[in-house]
Amino acid sequence: MKSDKRNSTNPPSLEQLLQRGDIWRGQSKHVAPHTALETGHEDLNDGLLQRGWPLASLVEICQTGALNGPGYPGGHTSAVSQGEWLLLAPALRQLADGYTVLLNPPALPFAAGLIQMGIDLDRLLVVTTETKTDFLASFTELVRTDICVALLAWQPRPGLNYTELRKCQLACSNGKGVYFLFRPISVRQQSSPAAVRLRTQLHPTSMEIHIFKQKGSLNRADEKSIYLPLPEHWQPIAPHANLDRSIEKTAATILPLKRSQS
Amino acid sequence: VKNRLWLALRLLDLPLRSFPIHPVEQAVCVLENQKVIAANTISVKAGVRLGMDATTAHLLSGCITYQRDCKQEQEYLNQLADHLYRYTPYIQVYRSQRVSDSGFLLEISRCLKLFGGTLSLCEKIFSAVEDTPYSHGLAHTQEGAWLLSYDRYSISGTEDTSVFIERLNRIPIDRFFDWPDAVLAMQRTGFVSLADITQHIQSQSISSIKKRFGQNFARYLTNIFGIEQDFQQAALFDKPIEIYQPKTFFFETLQFDYPVMQIDQLHAPVEQMLQTLSEHLQKRKLACQRIEWQFFDIHQNSHCIRVHCAQAQNEWRLLYDLTLIQLASKQLPFAVDAMELICRDLQKRQDKNHSLNFYGEVSNNRSNDGLALIEGKLKARLGEHAIFKIRYQDSHVPEKSSPQVSVFTSSEQQLPPCHQTAPRPTWLFENAVPIKFQKQSLFWRGKLELLTDPERIENQWWDTPIMRDYYIARREDDLRLWVYQDLLSGGWFVQGVFSG
Repeated sequence: MKSDKRNSTNPPSLEQLLQRGDIWRGQSKHVAPHTALETGHEDLNDGLLQRGWPLASLVEICQTGALNGPGYPGGHTSAVSQGEWLLLAPALRQLADGYTVLLNPPALPFAAGLIQMGIDLDRLLVVTTETKTDFLASFTELVRTDICVALLAWQPRPGLNYTELRKCQLACSNGKGVYFLFRPISVRQQSSPAAVRLRTQLHPTSMEIHIFKQKGSLNRADEKSIYLPLPEHWQPIAPHANLDRSIEKTAATILPLKRSQS
Repeated sequence: VKNRLWLALRLLDLPLRSFPIHPVEQAVCVLENQKVIAANTISVKAGVRLGMDATTAHLLSGCITYQRDCKQEQEYLNQLADHLYRYTPYIQVYRSQRVSDSGFLLEISRCLKLFGGTLSLCEKIFSAVEDTPYSHGLAHTQEGAWLLSYDRYSISGTEDTSVFIERLNRIPIDRFFDWPDAVLAMQRTGFVSLADITQHIQSQSISSIKKRFGQNFARYLTNIFGIEQDFQQAALFDKPIEIYQPKTFFFETLQFDYPVMQIDQLHAPVEQMLQTLSEHLQKRKLACQRIEWQFFDIHQNSHCIRVHCAQAQNEWRLLYDLTLIQLASKQLPFAVDAMELICRDLQKRQDKNHSLNFYGEVSNNRSNDGLALIEGKLKARLGEHAIFKIRYQDSHVPEKSSPQVSVFTSSEQQLPPCHQTAPRPTWLFENAVPIKFQKQSLFWRGKLELLTDPERIENQWWDTPIMRDYYIARREDDLRLWVYQDLLSGGWFVQGVFSG
């Protein structure tokens, strides 16, 4: 009993403290092992301290691409969409067990599109909430459960304040999965306790990703953005003139028919 | 058949048992089709007889009359059957189709050793039903035992089949209440008692009876004596007797020392009671899908909370969480003095399917339990349709190809070849949103530019025809949208968003 008591009062050693993954160590890029999920994009891995999406942390993705408009049915969410499946699908495809949960998605997930992306529909759940209170309760409930290994949440309307975001971040720190919160670009200037904050922006041929906050690193404003190429079928088809030209090229390669001996 | 021993218990005033108890001096009659089918002692003393019409009975005795309540009778029989289950597992409820007679047929041959012989067992059974007037009959067949319950033979414990057959032979045929037509026909032919029928069968065989009075009646007669109808080849096996399954039920009650005002104080007792339930279920390999909480105050006011799960549980955790969610959302109307946990409709745990694990893979049963837990919690908070999965359904109409299904349904994921390469969005609007068409341009929260050639989808020509040309469109902010022109109305709509 005595020895136990003595041990419990002993302060932890520096080595013990440094073994913890959540101790900020200034500019040192030391990270605890097995705490990240590879993003599936090499450039993005390079940009993230842990070379992947940090586990048990809140990742905030600020997007433009608002879908809320007059007549849009999901009026209770800040419905934004800006290539999120393009960004996250490679990481989600690596998750062998557990469920990916979409909380308050901006629209209904479309089965055919997701199957084409290689998303396992059997392990994809959709949860919809009407109010901010329900959103927060569902978010914390989902993050705490073992079966939810990835959570993609779209913030409700009205938006989350700092205290509510802190609740989400605290809940995430008790979980084991990857947790993403999509918010409109307008909140970028507001403070947020999220471990990683990034902004996505679509361009005609690429998607720009700018990481503007990362726990354990002092991001500079002039830090370079990462560009992911857009899928081919998003590009405009070649004009008809080009099509004609390509046919001519192939036509030239066709060999003349052999004449019969007779 | 030889070794079986049936005890019939015919309940004499079952119809009266379904109604409230009245003072001894009050005459009470139960009616069916305006005829008296049961009357208490006072009514009988006043001259009321069974079969008498309601008005006469009322004039004679001034009785209170009730219409027969078969449902209540069945309930009473079920309760009594549970009581008798202590003595034998072979219990059959007998309810006559034509008259109001009901009772039990108990097969006791296999319980004799346990209870020390026929006499001792019968005494125990009689003491179990002593509150209800009854008459008993003992025979080697169930039909025989029921018929003998109208005679008052005392049980010595030494009866054998020959004694039973001799007693049965004395029975008049008008006791076959369920066969009125056959009885009438037999009486016309000169049959009076079962002995006459036995004699006829011995001299001529059963086939003449079968021809004249029908196969079913002939089978009934052979069942009374326990003889084979087909004498050429005896049945290889006896018909097995059904084993009585008592209704399983869980009930737990708790009284507090002082009325509890705050819901937080209920958490610990709720947990404790649910743990008791869980232990009860696990010991008996049972599971339950719904539980009921009854809260009482000191004035006996009650408040009920029902908790449902999507899947049957034998663990307490989910039921506890769901109860707390309900308690948090509904305030109790009073300070709680006592609470009860009631669980009806317990199911067999074995009914649950588990896939065989040949390759030693990590079982997903755990994750299924976890899914049931989170699904139950979210549904309790958000409503029935707040959590779902999607699956692919083969349809050319996009809004019909991605239906929502329960989280426990496995999702179809096989795309037909024609849809494997066609560009499809990742988000779909449940209802397509109209697009403005102005100055030869399309606008939806920004100007749209069509990027691809049309993909025509034509369908449902037999119902409401659909004819649409789908395009991928780029908005000013480079967001790719799935838009279509309705070729029937000419309007433009946005239906999906490409995000991957």
